[in-house]
Amino acid sequence: MYSSIEHISGAVVSGMKKIYTFFLVIIIGCYSCVEEQNFDQFDDLNIIPTIEASILYVESPEQVINDAVGAVWYSNTFNFDAFNEAFFADNVVDGVITYELENTTSKELEIIFEFLDDTGAVLDTENFRIDPAPTAILTREIAYGNATGRSLDIIRNTSSIRVSASNFGDNTSVSNLPDPMIIFRSSAKFRVRLK
Amino acid sequence: MIRSLLLLLVILFGYTNVCSQNKEVLYDFTEIPQALLLNPGMEVGFSWYAGVPFTSGIYGQAGTSGITVHDLFANDGLDINEKVRTRALNGMTQRDEFGETVQVDLFNGGFRSVKKPQDFYSFGVYFEANTILYWPRDLAYLAFDGNADQLGRRFDLGHLKTKGEGLTVFHFGINRQIGQKLTVGVRGKLYSGIFDFNSSNNDGYFVTTAGQNNILANTMVADLGLRTSGLEEIRSILSDETSGSVANVLTKRALFGGDLGIGVDLGFTYQLNAQTVLTASLLDVGFVYHSGDILNYTLQGSATIEGVEVILPDAFSDPNADLWQELVDEIEALIPFEENTKSYITYRPTQLYGSLRYNWGVPNNAVDDCDCDISGNLKTNRFQYKNGVGGQLHIINRPRGPQAALTAFYLRRLGSIFSLKTTYTADKFSFSNVGLGINIQAGLVNFYATANNLLSYSNLADSNYASFQIGLNILSWGNN
Repeated sequence: MYSSIEHISGAVVSGMKKIYTFFLVIIIGCYSCVEEQNFDQFDDLNIIPTIEASILYVESPEQVINDAVGAVWYSNTFNFDAFNEAFFADNVVDGVITYELENTTSKELEIIFEFLDDTGAVLDTENFRIDPAPTAILTREIAYGNATGRSLDIIRNTSSIRVSASNFGDNTSVSNLPDPMIIFRSSAKFRVRLK
Repeated sequence: MIRSLLLLLVILFGYTNVCSQNKEVLYDFTEIPQALLLNPGMEVGFSWYAGVPFTSGIYGQAGTSGITVHDLFANDGLDINEKVRTRALNGMTQRDEFGETVQVDLFNGGFRSVKKPQDFYSFGVYFEANTILYWPRDLAYLAFDGNADQLGRRFDLGHLKTKGEGLTVFHFGINRQIGQKLTVGVRGKLYSGIFDFNSSNNDGYFVTTAGQNNILANTMVADLGLRTSGLEEIRSILSDETSGSVANVLTKRALFGGDLGIGVDLGFTYQLNAQTVLTASLLDVGFVYHSGDILNYTLQGSATIEGVEVILPDAFSDPNADLWQELVDEIEALIPFEENTKSYITYRPTQLYGSLRYNWGVPNNAVDDCDCDISGNLKTNRFQYKNGVGGQLHIINRPRGPQAALTAFYLRRLGSIFSLKTTYTADKFSFSNVGLGINIQAGLVNFYATANNLLSYSNLADSNYASFQIGLNILSWGNN
């Protein structure tokens, strides 16, 4: 019994030595078969998608303007946290805000679009003045953050938006176009660095 | 740090074998006991074997389809951004995959019944972990390009498909030779799930269109889900939210303290004639019931937004309304991100193997074909020919449907010590996969090593996949 176990253990040890040698040769062989890679290139990888979405839409029938007392027929401040949300504010690279103003009323109108920070201070202002109908849609693009654009800090620190609308016409006329109204549209297109 | 992360990524995902756990070299390599795990009905010639704990079967497999590490990180002076653009974003589809599989025998053994020598029993425990991530093509485009200037383009959220699991498998198999021609086998399995995550039944899209009122409209239709088991407890320990040790949690769950499941393997070997052998096996027909430490996430619903909208004169009714917050709340109500702890079932990736082998050549230590079964005096299996050639089929069920591979092989026995098997495998990803396996019987010590895709070994980094298996057993062919 003892000699049988001794025989088995001797055979096992002898076999294992040969096999470990074989295994080492394989590992060393494989190690030498990997062409040098440059993982530092990962540092140069840029992931900068351009995202776009609408911001604010305001519409008002001409009757609302006629019913208002005084020239300023509408003014309101909207909480708007999309821009100063931490991830966006930290990673925004540049972008464009597009405005459209469509006037089918009989009045010359002015819209003032203001970016405010969290203390209510005005960071940026965009004025639009549009003639009475019939008139073309007013389109304006304002760039931020590139060489010729406005400061990105305006975008980063914007916490709310104030829209003020003034009537430079009368309070009685009504356009003969169907369903006369003033429509304000806006959208943002920004590049954001993910990496 | 980034290098370490990259290395981790390479290890985890960099080399997933798109052949999908196909162990074409090991299958029906009848000198190796671990081949029994691929066909419980394999012809078994040995009397008994005992796997060296933690060493009897170490299997690793990794790779990618559609791209290699070398494609992106070769020191070729090209701009990495251009390489990612052309080779990953434009070069890969949602059917390309990354993944890995690791399997380690904790212990493994087998013996032939003394009273009923037609029967060979095998048993053991192994740990297995695997992950698979399909290239989320549309989500990658969204990440790299964004949605700007792509009106009407639908980004398919269903491209998000991934799954991974770690479990221990306790198994016991019976292999029975029935007469001269037929050997059948069955293996019962108990699964002890350690961790699991899967997100494979996703649907929906994200699209930007011209707005009905405003300039743009962003629409999301989502039916997304991620099911996890066994991860939350580990996360809470790692983040110091609860006390305990990760090792204890893993050990407990590995020993039936987590999710439980059952499964079965079936297989047979049939001698069509003296020199021709037909084999087939069906592996891992089973499931795991995930009931402990469950945390599932869902994102379901649909919404279209055009920014903050002020419609006068209606807006005058509530001039102080927080329209931004109302918009956010509305989106969250329409597409709620929710958690639940519902139990769920996952089915094991069932595999099918089949082979047809033609044998010839009398071995050096040949005895005549005894025309008997293993219960005869010879106490060994049928005549071992010197050569074998044939073809194999492997099919595995994956999240995007079955994947098949065809293999041609040549088996050569060199005396009683060495045997070699070389394979050529073709599948939808590769037509240049050459594999080699060697089995050495040094006394009672049995050592084997297999590897595939050998042609890529001139530069492993440029390989779509690679796999290997090694093992060490104490094995007896006689009456030791």
